[in-house]
Amino acid sequence: MSTGWARRVFPVAAAAVVLAAVPLAVGGSPYQMRLATLMLVLGCYAVAFNLLFGHTNQLFLCVGALASLGGYASVLLVRDLKLPAVLAVGLATVAAAAAGGFLSYVGVRRGFGVLFVGIVTLAVSLMMHNLLLGLRELTNGETGIVTRGFGVGLGDDPRRAYYVLWAVLVASLGGYRWLFGSPHGMALHALSEDEVSAELSGIDVTRYKVACATAASGLIGLVGALYADLNGFISPSVYAVGHVDIPVLVALLLGGVRTLLGPVVGAALFSVVDELVRPFGQLTVLAYGALLVVLFLLFRQGVVPLVEQLAARGRGSAAEGARLSAPPASKEGVAGGTGR
Amino acid sequence: MGVILDGLVLGLQLALLSVGIVFVYGLGGVLNLAHGQVAVAGGLVAALLVQARQHPAVAGLVGVLAAGLLALGMDRTLLQPAYRRRGEERLLLALILTLGASFALDGFYTFRYPNLALSLRLAKPSVEVLGITVRTASLAVGALSLATFGLLLAFLKGTRLGKAIRCVIQNEAGAWLCGVDVDRARTVTLFLSGLLAGVAAVGQGFFSFLGPDMGPEFTILSLIVAVVGGVRSLTGTFLASLLLGVVNAALSYWVGTYLTWIALLAVAVATLLVRPEGLLAYWP
Repeated sequence: MSTGWARRVFPVAAAAVVLAAVPLAVGGSPYQMRLATLMLVLGCYAVAFNLLFGHTNQLFLCVGALASLGGYASVLLVRDLKLPAVLAVGLATVAAAAAGGFLSYVGVRRGFGVLFVGIVTLAVSLMMHNLLLGLRELTNGETGIVTRGFGVGLGDDPRRAYYVLWAVLVASLGGYRWLFGSPHGMALHALSEDEVSAELSGIDVTRYKVACATAASGLIGLVGALYADLNGFISPSVYAVGHVDIPVLVALLLGGVRTLLGPVVGAALFSVVDELVRPFGQLTVLAYGALLVVLFLLFRQGVVPLVEQLAARGRGSAAEGARLSAPPASKEGVAGGTGR
Repeated sequence: MGVILDGLVLGLQLALLSVGIVFVYGLGGVLNLAHGQVAVAGGLVAALLVQARQHPAVAGLVGVLAAGLLALGMDRTLLQPAYRRRGEERLLLALILTLGASFALDGFYTFRYPNLALSLRLAKPSVEVLGITVRTASLAVGALSLATFGLLLAFLKGTRLGKAIRCVIQNEAGAWLCGVDVDRARTVTLFLSGLLAGVAAVGQGFFSFLGPDMGPEFTILSLIVAVVGGVRSLTGTFLASLLLGVVNAALSYWVGTYLTWIALLAVAVATLLVRPEGLLAYWP
């Protein structure tokens, strides 16, 4: 029993140690620290999106919108209502969780398939974007808000920002690990394979989907609020679909859907690629799009499952247990479990 | 009055865009999120030719053809893996692939041609019709759209291929059993949707101007129309286009762009919530 427990905790602990060592490796360069912190932000979004899209078939194309809800809510609560920053971040998290849970509830109750959820959440994203642009006296429109002094002070200390985000990411990985080690994990696997069969075998699909969406949206809102603080500036475009949702989708596909470490590995790889194409300006958008197409066509399993397979081949059948969380039937990738 | 007329012309433009997206969805089970970018491709090719001192008519025609060819190319390459799947898997795969394609195309346009814009000017800016002053461009674009629709209807009702396409929309398996080449019908439909989008883009060049960054706007607008109009019939799409065109023009005039966008999107979401089964479902 204890070896099973150790094996389950080991990947989270290993990831935590490796990520904790990153600032030591990059030295004190503020630019590198910023890149590393943004990688963690992307990793957190991807963990949440993995739960939404990978495990419960909910294509939420509103990750950026939920993050902007968290970011703007936390900043405005401090600026206009003079609330303490920590309380404001907490309230912003709750607001995003409630919004995501509500969207999920509506989608599940109306029986929306993956396409309808995608369209509705995309529409919600665009509404949020236009709302932030339109409420100029509150949000300054496209000019944005300088957030210094309206947060918990992550903008002043890159190292602190990094380790706060590190803690959030490690905690969410731990939560993910716990979830899939518990009976709930089995239920989630069942419903991501086939929702009707899961419902018939006594799993409350609605409750699981809404609960997952609420938790994931809360995480997105929290990270969005922390991002507002550490970035020192927010505007509608830093949370736009092209800046948040597409990178999250690419990072998750790159790393591996329905795996523990896929979102983190994907976020790291994406950050490297992003840095390589950054000098080419608008070409980054082209690269994101092309990467999404290529990944989805040719490499749907992602890096983490691939490495595991290679390792398993090396060690023979003894490595069966090393598969992190995806059940064998999910080799087909994302679309494998879209249900009917 | 001018606002209403502008709205109607905008509605016709929207109809050209949306009929394509609706057709491809109804027939191929593929929601093309790069539809607006296909239209912009046509407009940009036309703009390049105008820059090279070609006659605007030639430029427009070649631009429309270019949009059609781009859609054709997407059908032959990008969407093939999607066609091999069925039902929701096909939808999801095609959704992600065209989303990726839309970003790739957008990135390419704004990177390669950041300042290129299609803006065609007519010799006489406005004329008097029934006592009101009307922009010549509005009339020209309206006539162009209506003529294109006439051609489309004639094709669908009058030719064998058009009938085959209507068969596949009604029942893919049934049409296949009757000897209709489903694959070919799909390819032709994508080509047609590209041509229609190209006409809309060139029309936009007459109406005001067309820039390299307008792809997402086109896609979203046609998506909203497709959702609101449903994909039951050409008429539904057509009516929804005209309605939303007028609403769009009127709201932009009275309350500003941002609120207009929010209102249009809210209408689409509300439609999905109230009548999800009839909207964006396969044709009967």
